[in-house]
Amino acid sequence: MTALLQVRNLTKKYLGLTAVNDVSYEVEAGTIVGLIGPNGSGKSTSIDCISGFQPADGGRWSLDGVDLTGLPPHKIARAGLTRSFQTVRAYDELTLLENLSVAAQEMDGIGWLPALWRSKALRAAERAAEARARDLLATVGLADYAGAPAAILSYGQRKLLAIAASMMSRPRLVVLDEPVAGVNPTMVRRIEDVIRKLNAEGVALLIVEHNVDFIMSLCRKVVVLEQGEKIADGPPSLIRSDPRVLEAYLGKAKANG
Amino acid sequence: MSPRALLLTVIAGLIALFAIPLVTDNDYILALGISFAAMSVLAGGLNLIYGYTGLLSFAQVGFFGIGAYTATLLVVDRDWSLWAGAAAGGALSVLVALLIGYSSLRLSRHAFAIVSLSFALLCAIVARDWPELTRGSMGIPGLPTPTLNLGGGVRWRLVDPSDFYYLLMGFAVIAHGLIYLVVSSRLGRAMRAIKLNEPLAQSQGVNPLAYRLMALSLSAALSGIVGGFFVFYLTIIDPSIFDFYYTETMLISVVIGGPGSFWGVLASSAVLTVVPDLLRFTTDLRMVLYGVVLIVAMLVFPGGVGGWLYRRQVKRWRRPRPQPKPTATTP
Ligand SMILES: Nc1ncnc2c1ncn2[C@@H]1O[C@H](COP(=O)(O)OP(=O)(O)OP(=O)(O)O)[C@@H](O)[C@H]1O
Ligand SMILES: [Mg+2]
Repeated sequence: MTALLQVRNLTKKYLGLTAVNDVSYEVEAGTIVGLIGPNGSGKSTSIDCISGFQPADGGRWSLDGVDLTGLPPHKIARAGLTRSFQTVRAYDELTLLENLSVAAQEMDGIGWLPALWRSKALRAAERAAEARARDLLATVGLADYAGAPAAILSYGQRKLLAIAASMMSRPRLVVLDEPVAGVNPTMVRRIEDVIRKLNAEGVALLIVEHNVDFIMSLCRKVVVLEQGEKIADGPPSLIRSDPRVLEAYLGKAKANG
Repeated sequence: MSPRALLLTVIAGLIALFAIPLVTDNDYILALGISFAAMSVLAGGLNLIYGYTGLLSFAQVGFFGIGAYTATLLVVDRDWSLWAGAAAGGALSVLVALLIGYSSLRLSRHAFAIVSLSFALLCAIVARDWPELTRGSMGIPGLPTPTLNLGGGVRWRLVDPSDFYYLLMGFAVIAHGLIYLVVSSRLGRAMRAIKLNEPLAQSQGVNPLAYRLMALSLSAALSGIVGGFFVFYLTIIDPSIFDFYYTETMLISVVIGGPGSFWGVLASSAVLTVVPDLLRFTTDLRMVLYGVVLIVAMLVFPGGVGGWLYRRQVKRWRRPRPQPKPTATTP
């Protein structure tokens, strides 16, 4: 069986710096995969490439057998791969419900004209989206703010909103860039719960994080990057004891000692 | 305001607007109404493209003038009807809008701003320096009294200011109706999303180029048509139809009304038509004053009327709970 996401020989160069060098990895359907590595190791660059936000210099990637190489971001999203950003993003002036509705409206196949005339199908789709949005807001604990502009949310709440938004369109794969960075321990547990709950709905996740405990407890498989190269790929138990990973994280002396 | 109250207010406002020529034949009042109708369509178009999709466009005056010249030349030289001439003007504007939009937006928003500015300047130059087509800087004075075929054998000769008042006000109502239809639908929501956070919108399947080209085309069509009508009221066309004055007035209406606020921009374009005329500024002084007003407005009143309403909403939600009932933001 082929994996849901297949990344083959991805390479990305920035002005002489090879940020991602010939990296391949896979995410199997319905699983949670971690992507870790020191600062600047190319994690964000790698997901920027597969989500269409950076042009890759080499490699191919596909979702469910559909080649996504070189497509623009909106087409990749419509193909079922959504993402969050390391610098958390929201539509500040829109309400939380509107924030989530936008995330679904391009995926329901209803064109501009029916949207203008408020056709029956459009109204049904919008109602369904609102119901889903309210569900997701309840899941992430923001139901009380459904009608509030996103601007009032705290940093951690914005991360929760971003996770909810990435799930709105029922994608096949969600890529989260540092969902718990800078978030207090209570909120980390809450986000972990939310991710498990959403994963139970069948969506696969690829999660970039520095919080190793968080990754190890959530993921079935972990991919490790260092200076743009993949240095390890396997279940958490093996990754924990991999000498190259220890070296990358703790420095040579510690790893040997 | 509840939807019902809003609807009633709009209907009452429309009745009042259309009753004005019945109760007065004061040319001055009708002239104000006509320039409000024309300017509000231009400002509404700029609001659609800038206020909703976040693209600063200096090209609107170009669409306005292209519509005006196209309609004039087709009616005067080719004996077309004003309907057909204005429609052709709108169509040509859309074509040009797609051309400059598609070529520059693939680069960036900033490229678009620069290209749109160059385009507006180029329009004025062509109008002045291509006399074979446009009669040069003397322009074309004494445009004929147009006759509009209303169907069923009814022909409407636009002789009096009140005729033009009805024509332009009628078109303005249609134009704002179309804009409202777009911005109050979920297309408007996607446009605001693009303005507020383009990468996030893209990551959710929104294609910014498609929405921006759509907004730009609609605004170009409306500006072009209104240009075609307006110039027959002026009875003269010359390169000053591309004057920066129009751009500045549009910008000021949008900034004070609040970019992305439909009613705010409509209201501010009414105020901006009436007030300067009452104060009788000279044209040059008016331009400078407008510049000052623009800067002051952006400093002390960011986001205009719309921005003020938004800040109130944020404050309300930040107040300690329990919260008042939530309301969706209006388009
Ligand atoms: N737009 C860019 N232009 C030039 N260089 C870039 C750009 N984006 C990233 N880089 C470089 O590419 C390398 C990888 O960066 P990247 O952001 O992918 O790392 P990361 O693994 O996500 O790190 P962090 O954990 O700090 O987020 C870094 O050396 C960075 O400086
Ligand atoms: Mg990163």
